[in-house]
Amino acid sequence: MIFTHRFLQPFGRAFYLSCILAWLFAPAACMPFTPPETEEFTTSATGEGLFVVNQGNFMYANASLSYYNPQTKDIENEIFVRANGINLGDVAQSMVLYKETAYVVVNNSGVVFAIDPKTFTLKGMLTGLVSPRNIHFVNEDKAYITDLYAESIAVADPITLQITGIIPTPGHASTEAITAWEHLVFVSCWSYDNTLLVINTKTDRIVDSLKVGSHPNQLLTDAAGHIWCATQEGIYRIDPQDKKALLKIPASPNAFNTYIALNGTQDSLYYIANDLYVMHIEDVYPPSLPLIHGESRLFYGLAVDPTSSHIYLADALNYVEPGHILRYNPQGELLDDFITGINPSAFCFK
Amino acid sequence: MSTRLLFLLLFLSVPLLAKAEVVATPDTVQATKVQFAASNTVQVTKVQFATPDTVQVTKVQFAAPDAGQDTVQVRELQTVTVTAQALLRDQGMQKTVLDSAVLRRDVTGSLAQVLGQSSTLFIKSYGRATLSTASFRGTSPSHTQVTWNSIPMNSPMLGMVDFSTIPAFFIDKAQVYHGPGATSIGSGSLGGAIALGTGGDLPVGTSPASFARTGQTGEHAEQTGEEAGQTSEHAGQTGEDTGRRVRPSLQYVQGVGSFLTFDEYLRVRFQTAKWSTSTRLYAANSKNEYTYTNYRKKTFLYDDVGNITGFEYPIEKNKNGGFRDIHILQEFQTTGRHGGLWEAAAWYVHSDRGIPFLNVDYKDSERIKNNQNDHTLRTVLQWSKQQSNSSYRMTAGYTYSDILYQYMRMLGDESWANMVHAQSNTHSLYLRANGEYHTGKWMFSGNMALNQHIVRSVDNAIVSVAGDTTILGYEQARAEGSLFLSARYRPITRLGLSATLRQDVYGKQATPPIPSLFAEYLLSPAGNVVLKASTTRNYRYPTLNDLYFMPGGNPQLKPEEGLSFDAGLSGAYSGTRLYLRGQAGGFYSRINNWIAWLPTHKGFWSPVNVLHVTSYGAEAAGTAHLRLNGGWSIQAEGNAAWTRSLSFEQPTGAVQPVGTQLPYVPEFSAAVTGRVVWKNWTFTYDWTYYSERTTTRGAQSYSRLGVLAPYFMNDVALEVHLPFPRFRLHVKGTVRNLFNEYYETVLARPMPGINGTVSIGIVPLFY
Repeated sequence: MIFTHRFLQPFGRAFYLSCILAWLFAPAACMPFTPPETEEFTTSATGEGLFVVNQGNFMYANASLSYYNPQTKDIENEIFVRANGINLGDVAQSMVLYKETAYVVVNNSGVVFAIDPKTFTLKGMLTGLVSPRNIHFVNEDKAYITDLYAESIAVADPITLQITGIIPTPGHASTEAITAWEHLVFVSCWSYDNTLLVINTKTDRIVDSLKVGSHPNQLLTDAAGHIWCATQEGIYRIDPQDKKALLKIPASPNAFNTYIALNGTQDSLYYIANDLYVMHIEDVYPPSLPLIHGESRLFYGLAVDPTSSHIYLADALNYVEPGHILRYNPQGELLDDFITGINPSAFCFK
Repeated sequence: MSTRLLFLLLFLSVPLLAKAEVVATPDTVQATKVQFAASNTVQVTKVQFATPDTVQVTKVQFAAPDAGQDTVQVRELQTVTVTAQALLRDQGMQKTVLDSAVLRRDVTGSLAQVLGQSSTLFIKSYGRATLSTASFRGTSPSHTQVTWNSIPMNSPMLGMVDFSTIPAFFIDKAQVYHGPGATSIGSGSLGGAIALGTGGDLPVGTSPASFARTGQTGEHAEQTGEEAGQTSEHAGQTGEDTGRRVRPSLQYVQGVGSFLTFDEYLRVRFQTAKWSTSTRLYAANSKNEYTYTNYRKKTFLYDDVGNITGFEYPIEKNKNGGFRDIHILQEFQTTGRHGGLWEAAAWYVHSDRGIPFLNVDYKDSERIKNNQNDHTLRTVLQWSKQQSNSSYRMTAGYTYSDILYQYMRMLGDESWANMVHAQSNTHSLYLRANGEYHTGKWMFSGNMALNQHIVRSVDNAIVSVAGDTTILGYEQARAEGSLFLSARYRPITRLGLSATLRQDVYGKQATPPIPSLFAEYLLSPAGNVVLKASTTRNYRYPTLNDLYFMPGGNPQLKPEEGLSFDAGLSGAYSGTRLYLRGQAGGFYSRINNWIAWLPTHKGFWSPVNVLHVTSYGAEAAGTAHLRLNGGWSIQAEGNAAWTRSLSFEQPTGAVQPVGTQLPYVPEFSAAVTGRVVWKNWTFTYDWTYYSERTTTRGAQSYSRLGVLAPYFMNDVALEVHLPFPRFRLHVKGTVRNLFNEYYETVLARPMPGINGTVSIGIVPLFY
């Protein structure tokens, strides 16, 4: 027997056994991790182009960013990780383009990324946040960042990407959307709340508040200076002067999340209440017929191209696999249907 | 393709390690002689079949099993006759038995680690000492039913078990039932079942009831191995001798590991032939702040004018991952007047665990706390009786669980404000009655189970729109019942046939009947080549959270419905020096009405019967032990699985391609353990492999986020048993992730690099 051969005793046996083990394990023992490689993107500085923010799933770290060219109908998915080699993070919430920099707010990662909208490469990041939701630019030197849990709004410098202060929002842990009217901004308090806060941007302090329906979410200012607010109970039109909210459009029974958007001239309101409706901002009654039938789809986001007035509807499908974007012309005819990332929810036009 | 080839080559190479000679395995009752390598091993001699279902054990010797810290040198027993009901009971089933030798390899190891290494289960681990779930054959973790001393461990609210909270060192035996065989353990086991056991303290040979209760030599090897205080002085001691004195035994193990990890284990026992009592304590705590290179973030380098000139991957620490676990297990056993055996056990667990940050999280870990605090008490009282052709067992169990999940942020004054404060309290009462009756060729058994759950789940961090603190949650009670009948028939020695039927009721509803069929045939006595096949139709009814969770519970859910087939071959060969054992098989299963929690348009998640999942694949496992001259031996154990688990329906009219692999189910997985033993020294090499896994359903192949890279993992350990006149010492050093690989089992959940543990165990000798 080979093990009893004199040349193999006593150390040779150990050597032989070691060889067997080494042969068994060594060739496949190690698989070095390779970090993601980066790709170069080059898109035009201005003109048509649409970013789609894909939320991903909470605690799954699978948020992503897509870029769609309406002229060529090309869609590029996961552009953030492909351009930068790192993940966008956990629950991407919103994106705003301001002064040739795009700011992507990633909620559960607690970060705002500043990227170049042409190359999608990272220019910097803003941290020190708890659960950021939206960023609003007051001017070149000041931005407000709302937060789901912080009970305050962060004041940040968009150039240095540093937090310069906070606006306390006592009694309102959740602050969500922001829209400007003159030197004031209106802020919706979303999670288990029904309040809009009014903040003076010169003093960075709350100066007033008003009540609307529960869970106020999106806020928009139209061409006539009305503020529109989407809530669980429906869509409110608010006169910012006397700060009175009038329920304009009651929510549909199944429309828990009502989405609103304005066209480029800000005189037409688009909203989803199962189906997509469009109305003039001064209309007294909401339209009785939809422009686009939802056909049992549950839309997860809405945007209207400020130039072409093309309508983009996000269909998150089953919320755990890549969603779809449906693109319609202003007459409600389907022009395109493309796949993005998981839970497409917010848009940003270039 | 190269990965597949490598995978096959590695697996096929396992049996080649050994050459011809011995037969022996802790669970091979058929062996006429059971021997392992010279030291740290078990020897069982003269085990013979008197009839197809009766085994005559004329002498059993245990020679220092390699169970780790608690061993016995030699123990010789009286001749006993064992009714091998286990042979009939398990015929046709695909089953893996993990004894204490496997379970107690490392005081710092959780059951998740042991199952990942020693079986074909896939362990989805969210990090070190973080949620770890086990799934069989491409099913979900809630399709894996787990019992402890016959009472369920699955949460009636969540349906699953977190194996990272079960210290493997605490468990005496784990029986893993793959596929249809799991229906004999309990309801809802669409993938499989794991029956954990503690106890079995009464000395073998003095309590025929105890011996026959399990009918497996392997279990008794493990039981005697537990009798740490015994030495060779007791060789030849009879049952009567042991019955006259109280024998104490004690074992203490301490482990110190990387990342400020400390583990303590103490067991104190007193036993006579009539009764035994055992107290076990286990405590583990760790700061768990391991350092890793974060490849999902970049730190950019800038020049003087602010242009990016380069980047580096930051070195980060695992944030908020600290944990503190305490387990106390008290057991008592005694024989009754008429040969019955009474067993009582209570297991209390307190676990306080941080939930580690994702590696894509930029928040300040000092200002955020996210942790889970659990208190769980499990108690069980059991009476069993073994007669010549029948056995009975009555079990009553009660489980209380209090789970608090907190997500908090620091306020300016350094106090903490709740963002989420979700608490659940569960009371569960379990009653079981089992009976078995067997003749020479037949065995009939029945089992009745009644469960009563009372649960309360609230999140009181929510403030209502009106500004009041409100309670978001639910309170529910549910009664469950299950009736199980089986008939097993062995017309000839070679052929075994079984049919079982289970009927479940929950609340006011009932699942359809759950029938199962099993068959096995001994193709060749030489090599003990057995062909096994089984099939079952199975159901799993929704958990209480599925039905009632606020918000999102869906009272309209239907039970999940499964149909499974499996078939396989097993064989064993033994000579005086070599022992080989192997099994391989395939499976196919279909699950309809698969319950998945999906986000809804209402802003929260809700469960729905959405999917039709088809799984098929193959599993193989092998063991080779070779004993050499000069106190050397070499051992290798391995397993491998190929699993396709495909979702074939889209819930909401999606246009994605159907039939994609379910998330986090690797197509290929394998594990091999190699061991070289020289006298009292043992060197162990553990190797595991997982192929790539998708992170979401319908992930595109190009996706950087949808696919996780495959990885190999390598662990080594060196241990020595040191016998001293008055005590025994066991010292073990373990190095995990030997090559310091970066890997993720779940997306964005960092795993530790190279890390180590040193443990010292001491067993005083009282005789």
